[in-house]
Amino acid sequence: MKFHILFAITILFVITVSCTLEETDYEAEIATEVTDYYDFEEATSFTSNQYIITIEALNGSLHKGYNEIRLEITNTQTNEHINNSEVTFLPILTDASGNNSSCPHSYELVYNTDENYYSGYAVFTNKSGDIGSWELYISFTDNDQTYTVNQNISVLEQTNKNLNMASFIGNDDEMYFIALIAPQKPNVSENNLVAGVYKYIQPTNPAGDFPDPSQFLFSKVKNHKLLLDPRMPEPSMGNHSSPNNQDLIQLNDGLYHGVVNYTMTGNWTLNFIFLNENDQVIKGTEVPTDFTPGIEGVKSELYIDTLF
Amino acid sequence: MILYSDAMKYIITLLLFWGICANGQNTKAEKDSTKSVELEEVVITAAIKKKIETEMKMAVSVDEFLASSEDISFIKRGAYAWEPLLNNMSTERSTITIDGMHIFGACTDKMDPVTSYIETNNISEIDIKSGQEGSLHGATVAGSIDLKRKSTPFNLYKKWSGSYQTGFELNNKQFFNLGNVSYSSDKFVADASISFREAGNYSDGNNKEVNHSQYNKFNTSIGLAYKTSTLSSVRVEAIFDQANDVGFPALPMDLWLSRALITSASYKQLFEEGLFKVWDTKVYFNAIEHYMDDTTRPENLVHMDMPGWSTTYGLVSKATLKNERFFSEIQLNAYNNLSIAEMRMYPQDRSERTMFAYSWPSVTTTVAGISMNNTWELSERSQLNFGGSLTINYNHSKYVEFNWIFHPGTPQEKTRILPSLNTSYQLDINNFNFSIGTGYGHRAPSVSEGYGYYIYNSFDRYDYIGNPNLKNEISYEGHASAGFKNEKASVQAKVNYFYIKNYIIGRVLSMGSPMNYQSVGVKGYTSLDHSTLFNFSLNTSYTLFDDLHWKGSLTYARGKDENEKNLPFIRPLSYQTSLNYNYERFGFQTSVNGDIEQINYSPEYGEDQTPSYTIWNLSVDYTFYIKNKKTVLQLGAENVLNEYYSTYADWGNIPRMGRNIFTSLKFNL
Repeated sequence: MKFHILFAITILFVITVSCTLEETDYEAEIATEVTDYYDFEEATSFTSNQYIITIEALNGSLHKGYNEIRLEITNTQTNEHINNSEVTFLPILTDASGNNSSCPHSYELVYNTDENYYSGYAVFTNKSGDIGSWELYISFTDNDQTYTVNQNISVLEQTNKNLNMASFIGNDDEMYFIALIAPQKPNVSENNLVAGVYKYIQPTNPAGDFPDPSQFLFSKVKNHKLLLDPRMPEPSMGNHSSPNNQDLIQLNDGLYHGVVNYTMTGNWTLNFIFLNENDQVIKGTEVPTDFTPGIEGVKSELYIDTLF
Repeated sequence: MILYSDAMKYIITLLLFWGICANGQNTKAEKDSTKSVELEEVVITAAIKKKIETEMKMAVSVDEFLASSEDISFIKRGAYAWEPLLNNMSTERSTITIDGMHIFGACTDKMDPVTSYIETNNISEIDIKSGQEGSLHGATVAGSIDLKRKSTPFNLYKKWSGSYQTGFELNNKQFFNLGNVSYSSDKFVADASISFREAGNYSDGNNKEVNHSQYNKFNTSIGLAYKTSTLSSVRVEAIFDQANDVGFPALPMDLWLSRALITSASYKQLFEEGLFKVWDTKVYFNAIEHYMDDTTRPENLVHMDMPGWSTTYGLVSKATLKNERFFSEIQLNAYNNLSIAEMRMYPQDRSERTMFAYSWPSVTTTVAGISMNNTWELSERSQLNFGGSLTINYNHSKYVEFNWIFHPGTPQEKTRILPSLNTSYQLDINNFNFSIGTGYGHRAPSVSEGYGYYIYNSFDRYDYIGNPNLKNEISYEGHASAGFKNEKASVQAKVNYFYIKNYIIGRVLSMGSPMNYQSVGVKGYTSLDHSTLFNFSLNTSYTLFDDLHWKGSLTYARGKDENEKNLPFIRPLSYQTSLNYNYERFGFQTSVNGDIEQINYSPEYGEDQTPSYTIWNLSVDYTFYIKNKKTVLQLGAENVLNEYYSTYADWGNIPRMGRNIFTSLKFNL
């Protein structure tokens, strides 16, 4: 009797504990493709006279695309943070033949009194070495004296595809830049989609002494609209899309906010149609909405790819 | 699955403990076993199917056996794991339990109804109750199907018994071996069973092989009971079931592996005096894993995995009360189920990122309810049944963000109250019997209906999206029956009618686009204002001579939605007639069954018209004795005329099996 029971139990045991499929760890699953940017760390620092200038960015590195910048100035003699300075910030890209250009950026940095830093951003259009190298031109004041300093910086490839950017010439012959700012780490869910939209302002006066900021002017585009149609480009997904998305409109922070629904992880394309304040198309085309399994989805003239 | 293996360890320890403990006490028990208060169940008569065999066939699958009930029809996606429809309603609307234990399949496409995790040699009967009369086991609309496990009663003398059954079916080369053994004594009882089934592809009526219709199933069970006193006993039970390489010809994928572990421990106390007769309490745990994929379908555009897990633990406690005229059952049901289903699609370039989503975003269902069924014998001839239940149903979706995509801002939790009431009156006058009854009950949406996410339905080829805000489905039903019975003949007619408010069904959504490449659109589960369902059945039997019996049955059903349009999966007029003749040790059976043409089909829900069909079956058996043990040999053929057909509920109109010659042999040990 005992033998029979033990035998049956042994069989049961062996069969049951042998390998089965593991459930997916969802948190790990949505983190596989996404570099998380959590903390502001020092990206670069340099000295000018008795001052140390520290530039912080998320995870301590600058990338192609949108970068929030925090800048601190410390007087090494008094060991004090300078908090009443007028700080200007200008990134310059110099290509192999010596031509200079810039990228959307905040020229005058604003002091954040709560956190004690000067705040700004830069939307780097290329990584270092692609067509040239990046240099930061910074000026600041202390005790009515102006100091200027320039520093070579390293702009890395954007590893988080959810922070990709696009630059293009619109139908109005102006140059525009769209950079994704959020979500950094999307979810299979509704995601608040935030993008910065910028425009290059053609200089009206001849160039002065280099670097003449009037030659490198960019502005936030106002009251335009980005119509959104997210789709999965993978041929087998047949141009799959999601419901309940919202077009991007500008809010008080100057950035463009909308909603993108990702129905599953993987490659997505955010197809845009960029409209000016009079709802005229500056760039972008409507994409087919048909479900076409086996055929790669057609993209808009204006799109940004994401991946998570 | 940590939970799974932990629970397994616990159960095995428990089993081991009982095995040793019971064995030790066994010898002692014989000496003082003169007192004989039998542990016997007080059973009220209902539509209980006793012997697990059909008129035609003694070695049947659970599905084939259920199909022989006129209340049950089936949706079939292949040769395995048919979805039982009770009163022409799908499994969301019925409660399917094993000895009152709630078990939920782990497949989003309903490829693993509870009935697929048991085997005929470990159940003794199937108790089917229609409508709210089935609310004892929990909130329902269609009724309940309770599969009763085999359990040998305690016996004054030590006794071994068992049976072994083997057989072969020619059409799909199915080979099966079923064995069970039981031991009983005054203090200790053990039941064990083991079975293997292996089947290849079947061929249809045109002798064409239906690809991906093979299956392999292994099932084993053990039950140990120990009498703790003259009036009480404890019992531990476990069923393990595993299916490998099961094809579903009507689907774009197959089952690679499914496993179920179904365990319980129960305590039963009898009372000699007073109103209380029996109190039976059971705790249970079951874990189901179900892994679908399409590695066997290289023609598919997308390779996709669809694993699912369903884990349930619960408590069922039932008190039986009885005096001369009054019989009552009060049952407490409580369980917690966690259902998780995933889909992962692989891009054509396998180095690219896979695409992942939950089709059940880790949904917890916690249910607690109390139910009661009462029978009051008004007189010798008449009785009144009345009962009701009150259930609290709580749902929690862990990854509610999946649900937000189609239903922005929907709450993560939802609590529902599900009341139920029923009453019926039965009258027997001489050879005639009549009954009339009515019922009212709510049911909560199923996990798929509430929280499903892009569940591909290959029948209408839509991706289905659940809606957490669906209202409770509310059923108002009426039923009546009339019958006549004497020594030679019996006639029984039954009719029921359901008016179901907030009837849940999939409707095409104007938003979203398909995710599965075979799909044509997205449907969302929606509440219709109401639907109506009507079921009729007529059963007759007649004994022509002592050895010649005739039986016939007829069923008809009609289902309409709020706009008087047809509901899907409603069985057309169907008939079955059989003759049974015994001559000495031989038994001969023949039967004819079929459906007439499906007139009231529903193109809106993906149905097309199904033509009529008629099937003729034949079998002969021979009984002989080996050392006084009964042995039966059977030989027969189903679909003798090799008719090519598919029924109204065959997924994707896959053809049914053509002529099938079967043979089986059953030994009693």
